[in-house]
Amino acid sequence: MAQYLETISKSVIEGDMTSVSEGVQAALEAGIDAGEILQAGLIPAMGEVGRLFEEGEYYVPEMLVAARAMKAGLERIRPLLMHSNVKPAGKVVVGTVKGDLHDIGKNLVAMMLEGAGFEIKDLGTDVSPEKFVAALKENSVDLVGLSALLTTTMPMIKSTILAITESGLRERVKIIVGGAPLTQGYAEEIGADGYAPDASRAVSLAKQLIG
Amino acid sequence: MPGFDMAMKRVYAWYQNEILDRPPIRFQAHNAFLEAAKEDISKLSKQEKKAWWFEVETQVELFEKSIEGHHFHGETFPVFWPNLGPEVYAAFYGAELEFGEVTSWSVPLVRDWDEVENLKLDMGNQYFKKIEALTRYALERCPGKFLVGYTDLHPGLDCTAAWRDPLQLCLDMIDNPEGVERLADIAIADFQTIYDHFDAMLKAENQLSVSWMGIPSFGRMHIPSCDISAMISPEFFRRFGLPILQREVKTMTHNIFHVDGKGVASHLDVILRVPEIHAVQWVQGVGDDYPIMQWLAFIKRLQGRGMPVVVDLSKEDLNEFMEVMDPKGLFLWVATNNEEEEIEILKRVEKWN
Repeated sequence: MAQYLETISKSVIEGDMTSVSEGVQAALEAGIDAGEILQAGLIPAMGEVGRLFEEGEYYVPEMLVAARAMKAGLERIRPLLMHSNVKPAGKVVVGTVKGDLHDIGKNLVAMMLEGAGFEIKDLGTDVSPEKFVAALKENSVDLVGLSALLTTTMPMIKSTILAITESGLRERVKIIVGGAPLTQGYAEEIGADGYAPDASRAVSLAKQLIG
Repeated sequence: MPGFDMAMKRVYAWYQNEILDRPPIRFQAHNAFLEAAKEDISKLSKQEKKAWWFEVETQVELFEKSIEGHHFHGETFPVFWPNLGPEVYAAFYGAELEFGEVTSWSVPLVRDWDEVENLKLDMGNQYFKKIEALTRYALERCPGKFLVGYTDLHPGLDCTAAWRDPLQLCLDMIDNPEGVERLADIAIADFQTIYDHFDAMLKAENQLSVSWMGIPSFGRMHIPSCDISAMISPEFFRRFGLPILQREVKTMTHNIFHVDGKGVASHLDVILRVPEIHAVQWVQGVGDDYPIMQWLAFIKRLQGRGMPVVVDLSKEDLNEFMEVMDPKGLFLWVATNNEEEEIEILKRVEKWN
């Protein structure tokens, strides 16, 4: 069993989508449970990808192909997971705040969180505080990820947190923030639960907050 | 502009990594013109925002208003440069731009590799014509008041990223590296034509060569950059970025490479091996990467290599900075909007040695 999972894991780390897909199929045929493939094969592999990124061995292209390979494996087992007891690590809503159309950082965070077993609802870019609040009302959300790249749109993160607070939903969700102009100090000042400087550390933070 | 000749001498000494009486200083914050415009367009629709950016008279006259009655000190040159955002080069080939309040974003143009063949420079397209119109109108209005520069041109890998979408381009570098090279080749092929076109418009009216950085040259000044390199490995930069950069800088008399943060700086060893790079502008960024004081060792290394550097620092950091740094090779950007303060800073910097 370990050999199947190792092959899957290695293929994810190498970003080999075809091998991941074939590896997952072979593991299923060998009788390995879909939940086991996810928890012991795919998710740890993405954890390793995050570590390699943090240590400067991987860059964005390598991280992206790994996330894509992971997703290919996930697609294979998704129907089976629905019938198993495997629950997502948490439900997360992400978006870039109003007035800001930058999405690279937000997309990387969404991909890495998905790779870590979180369920993601991506609201896109230029998202108003009202849209964030509506998404929280519609879904049973554990965590919100707010992104801004511009110093001019950074205050909109604060406005969004304020809108969530005023809607009465603040106690139910954790809020993490990120983007070039942000700092830990600013995150604390505006009442966010955490700040992550990159996608990999957003995953660690999310696990720490709702794990 | 009083003191213009001496200011240019200081700039030219800096280009040569030399120093005259003091390092050059610019007092204007980046985007100060837009800040000065103080016109709230946040409530406008997407179409209305684009229309506002496209209003030639409004843009030039807002700039004029922003410099009215203002005395420029040090090496702060009043420069209007036509601006439709940093991805306008990609738009010259048909990419659409979406406008915000202070910048614009391009909509990816090349969704399938088949579409690469359709990419053609269109000097008649709306964005190219608008940059021409802004330049022309500014040239009419500028005599005795301000300089006119050329727009922010990002050919090469940044243009390629705008056409494909940056994350898609990262995937392409692994999935289809030859395709990326082909696309990057198109993104640099017409650069000289485009540069020469606007350079000729400006030179016909006896303008200097200058752009958004506000550092002029009597020859051909350019600001090469490769912001997407912050996302890729040194190996990928050497393969995809470097060959394009070498072509981009070839015909310029002064290239000031825009190093947009530590991600781009990780490729500096390779970048600085391009002999036509005459200087770098270091942008430490915002958030955790601000302020400048944490980058002193990095700046000293550049000075040690004989590379002139533009550094952006706050007036609060200036004394401490001057205490520990050698002024040689530095071009200071210190944002203020107070004339007395500027004069006082100049006096302080004159004593720096």
